[in-house]
Amino acid sequence: MNRGVYEPGTSGHGGIAPPGAAAGGLPEAFAKYDLDPVFYDETFEPDGSPRKASRRLIAALAELAPEDLAKLQDGVYRRFLYEGITFTVLGADEVTEQIIPIDCVPRPLKAMEWDYIERGLKQRLAALNLFIRDVYHEGRSLRDKVVPIDLVLGCSQYRLEMRGMKVPHDVYVAVCGTDIVRTHDGFAVLEDNLRVPSGVSYMLACRNAMKGAFPELYRAHQVREVADYTERLYSTLASLGPSSRVPRVAMLTPGMYNSAYYEHAFLAGEMGIDLVEGRDLIVRDAVLYASTTAGLRRIDVLYRRIDDDFLDPVTFRGDSVLGAAGMFHAYRAGNLVLVNAPGTGVADDKGLYAYVPRIIRYFLGEEPILANVETHLCREPEGLAYTLEHLDELVVKEVGGAGGYGMLVGPHASAAERAEYAERLRADPANFISQPVLALSRAPCFVDGSLEPRHVDLRPFVLQGRDGSHVVPGGFCRVALRRGSLVVNSSQGGGCKDLWVVDG
Amino acid sequence: MLARVAADFYWLGRYVERTEHTGRLLQYQLTRLVDRPADELAIGWQAVYRALGQFPPGVSADPDEAETYLMVDAYTLAGSLVEEGSNPASMLSCWERARENARHVRPQLPLPVWTCLNQGYLWMRDSDFAGAWSKAPAALVREAIDRLRLFAGVVDAVMYQDDAWRFLELGRFVERTQAQAALLGAWVEIGRGDRAASTLSWADLLRVCGAYEVYCRSRSMEVQREAVLHLLIRDPGFPRSLRFAVQRIDEMLAGIDPVGARSPLAPPHRMTLHLAAAIEVETTEASGERDSIDFFRSIGNDSRSLHALTMAAYVDYSLAEGLPA
Repeated sequence: MNRGVYEPGTSGHGGIAPPGAAAGGLPEAFAKYDLDPVFYDETFEPDGSPRKASRRLIAALAELAPEDLAKLQDGVYRRFLYEGITFTVLGADEVTEQIIPIDCVPRPLKAMEWDYIERGLKQRLAALNLFIRDVYHEGRSLRDKVVPIDLVLGCSQYRLEMRGMKVPHDVYVAVCGTDIVRTHDGFAVLEDNLRVPSGVSYMLACRNAMKGAFPELYRAHQVREVADYTERLYSTLASLGPSSRVPRVAMLTPGMYNSAYYEHAFLAGEMGIDLVEGRDLIVRDAVLYASTTAGLRRIDVLYRRIDDDFLDPVTFRGDSVLGAAGMFHAYRAGNLVLVNAPGTGVADDKGLYAYVPRIIRYFLGEEPILANVETHLCREPEGLAYTLEHLDELVVKEVGGAGGYGMLVGPHASAAERAEYAERLRADPANFISQPVLALSRAPCFVDGSLEPRHVDLRPFVLQGRDGSHVVPGGFCRVALRRGSLVVNSSQGGGCKDLWVVDG
Repeated sequence: MLARVAADFYWLGRYVERTEHTGRLLQYQLTRLVDRPADELAIGWQAVYRALGQFPPGVSADPDEAETYLMVDAYTLAGSLVEEGSNPASMLSCWERARENARHVRPQLPLPVWTCLNQGYLWMRDSDFAGAWSKAPAALVREAIDRLRLFAGVVDAVMYQDDAWRFLELGRFVERTQAQAALLGAWVEIGRGDRAASTLSWADLLRVCGAYEVYCRSRSMEVQREAVLHLLIRDPGFPRSLRFAVQRIDEMLAGIDPVGARSPLAPPHRMTLHLAAAIEVETTEASGERDSIDFFRSIGNDSRSLHALTMAAYVDYSLAEGLPA
């Protein structure tokens, strides 16, 4: 192993603490912290001593009384409340606007670990962009059976309309959010989000809140900065537009009742671009216009935050009112750049996920840097049989699912729930995959007046422009705030915390 | 700027102004609850409700007789205008709508402006209304007014004076013109009877408009109808006068559409100049009550037309007109 270079499985792996030793080694502020050796702890070594990146943080927390921490927690909560840092939950009868729960304890990460993640993310996105281009053009990877052709052509996110289309600079995915988890075996990719990934605004909001809550600690840690994300996002979007003039960039939102509306408004405001809705848009002579107080204004680049299906009622779903009739025609004519391109969902389907390592090897001739989670494809007879046989041990997901909805967490489900899910699996096996229940790493959170461990994941964001890619050194760090829960989605009891990439 | 966004800023201005206007009328009436007899209070409620274009709860038409208001208790009458979620004109509903408009324009809205509005709305939404009504009803409304004035101050302090700000201001002053005309009309109309005239005094009208101190300082301690109406209609220095409001509308429209402010005049500018001329030449102060009521009604109608013309010119125009040359 090279000095200063992270390799999987080398950071705190193994070394299970003897019974009683861990709890005894923890500072007093962590009296209720249960250092379970089953889970990798982001902050503590198995013997209870702080990991190197967390030493300053632990020392600072140890000096704070629970009342002080409660005050800090209340301060960041109020900041989120008054600034309206929310997400929207669509219920059966009503739409509820909720503050995203933020935890006031940051999660430090060593720079060398981050550099490893960054390299892995860039590699992954480069390969996936080549793959998507190939799927809609030559189809070499399909002919060479890197990926089963029926998996691609049968994918609900495959867009026939994109076949043979020239996409500016071959950048299909310009904004990507990849879900990464850590276990004792190291980091692994849980999911690639290549359509309209959300969460980056919460990353920025968490960072601002933490700078306010722990100014001295933040300065002492020399945390890598994330504040330039929106500038880089704008540059990325503009780089894909016409080079002959300053491109007019806009962002398309489904509207205020979308769960990620806060993020749409925040990003558009930070970039100084218009946040448009379908009702603002019209296509004339294959050009997209927005209705302004001074007449119609052309749009060159549209950062759309709605799904493909809703972009254009002429081309996709006829009942959509979220996009504009003729938008795809403007796109085909080269008068408009859509970011991300339609049809990218073919590469973030949960069924295709299992093939990403092969895609990386095929297109880049490299070994994947970031590992995948072991995945069983129920579309394959052996995968279905294994899943049905081990339903009480596995997590089963719909291939097109998102947000933690529609999945079965086997060990937490009742026998009746498992039986019902098994019926669904048998009825439409191609719609499901299964994975082992991951022992997601844990980090300290301030819950109910004390510091307790909670499971976390991480969604870093990658930008791919005309001239290269950039990974913002941070991410949307999601926390399963319910004790023992592994579900980090904000719609299901999850919250967020700040991730600090720290040198040393 | 986006036409929809302009409309949201415009409505944001209107709803905030409407909430504050309702608050001022209520503050006047709730303060009187302490020491006025029931029949006077009924006349006060009649003036408040008519000025706001509202009917008392459970009544489907504007009651001509003030006695109708004796049949409903004061806190029901106040609650309907403050906290009643099913009444779109209540302060809480208007504040909520202002906040919805503000959420639509978050990208263009400076954070302190949003935070101030949001914090105020959350305060009102979570207020203990029952407790407030039983202890100090006027205090709750007073705090609401303070928070809305704080919002106006934050807007003045931090907003860049571009089209977003102009549409917000335009909305505020169109609403103010309409609301002031309705208030003055209702006050004159209801105050015609002998009993009502002693209840709806001109001094109280000045207080409702926040003009009493200004009047005493600039005119006289002796409050007279003619001078009061002159201050509230034609004084260019008083922010709640009709003339001041129309002047601000003219300035905002000229900023939004400089070409439309020149000959040939665009329809919203034409209507604004018409309103300005009507206010300038009108001699309501010296006219009879019937003429005054007609005048205020006409100002109200013209300000509604101004609203429609503004929407047609800048928001709901036809595509053929909107395409670039």
